Amino acid sequence: MKTIFDFIHHLFVPKEDNNYRAKALHPDFLTYYLLIALFLTFVFKQTNLHNVLGFATDISTDKLYQLTNQVREKNGLSDLSYNERLATAAYQKAQDMFSRNYWAHYGPNGSTPWDFILRANYQYEFAGENLAKNFLFSQGVMDAWMNSSTHRDNLLKKDYSEVGFAVVNGILNGEQTTLVVQMFGKPLGSLAKKTSPIIPEAQPVQAAEKVPKPQVVEISPVPVPKTQPAILSKESSVLPFRLANITLNMNVVFLGFLMLALVLDFYFASKLNIVRIGGKNVAHFMFLGFVLIGLLFLTKGAII
Amino acid sequence: MKHIVIYLKKEVKKNLLDYLFLFTAGVFFVVSLNMFKGERMLEFVVLLGFASFYIVWGIYHHILEDTLHLKTVIEYILIAFTVVFLLKILILP
Repeated sequence: MKTIFDFIHHLFVPKEDNNYRAKALHPDFLTYYLLIALFLTFVFKQTNLHNVLGFATDISTDKLYQLTNQVREKNGLSDLSYNERLATAAYQKAQDMFSRNYWAHYGPNGSTPWDFILRANYQYEFAGENLAKNFLFSQGVMDAWMNSSTHRDNLLKKDYSEVGFAVVNGILNGEQTTLVVQMFGKPLGSLAKKTSPIIPEAQPVQAAEKVPKPQVVEISPVPVPKTQPAILSKESSVLPFRLANITLNMNVVFLGFLMLALVLDFYFASKLNIVRIGGKNVAHFMFLGFVLIGLLFLTKGAII
Repeated sequence: MKHIVIYLKKEVKKNLLDYLFLFTAGVFFVVSLNMFKGERMLEFVVLLGFASFYIVWGIYHHILEDTLHLKTVIEYILIAFTVVFLLKILILP
């Protein structure tokens, strides 16, 4: 017990043994941290863990579905039921974005979200789409959507009765990207008998649209890109650990450890009036503090 | 705790401009990350920029204080690049 206490003392408290500088902040220890960071970067890159396990983030369709219904319930709306055809449309939309290299509701060839929904053989009365990319957590995606009025309108639209999701990994603009596609719909029912169709014009994609009339839509196969994106299946939610969580926690723990060492070293050095050659603890602390704040933003992605 | 406050006041007062400069860069770093949310390459460039600035700031600060030493420079480099590599796992897996 005493040995452990001495070691911790040696690690954090400046004294004669450690040349009046906490051992955790000595150049040799700092070199070890760098080597460990390099090793971890190398291991993550070489083993390609995120691709092998099929996930680079902690986003699952199950969790997104659960969160979507949670926010609807909170707002006194009925739950949406999960629709596999909408999920297929969402997956095909994500695949299309990867294969044609774009990040938008409308494709460069003029394809609309509704094309994907119809191609998945889903005849809709109302339909909508929400997109997100590069988030680390499902909750982050939902928070961002709820903070955007157009996405929020989609999530809380009472006209929808069904929803489908796709969470797909792939390369977009040369970067490893995780896309989340959420497709809403209400299957065509009573409006099928309408005789005067309303042809949808170009409008914001979050807005609900009415289909012109019931029609048979030809399902054409979506071209398979050379770099096959990996779909993050529902099963990922039951995996025993999550890479995103591990890497985020690892960063937080390391930054916390270093900040603790700086604070303790600074405290004892100022208390004992120790003067020494070395970096400024205040500056290190500020740098690490800003990085820690930056970590919060790194867990967030973009939505359209 | 009293010692920390006294030392901090003394240190910041003595190098107010330097710390203000570092603080501004930090705010700029956080704002940039918020602006480029979801753009991983840009996020990494912003991080690399902030880490590089931090090293340059350290050298500049110690030159002004006339306390520049190789060990000090290495300390700034090691801390900055450890953070860069650790966050790289998160930004560019």
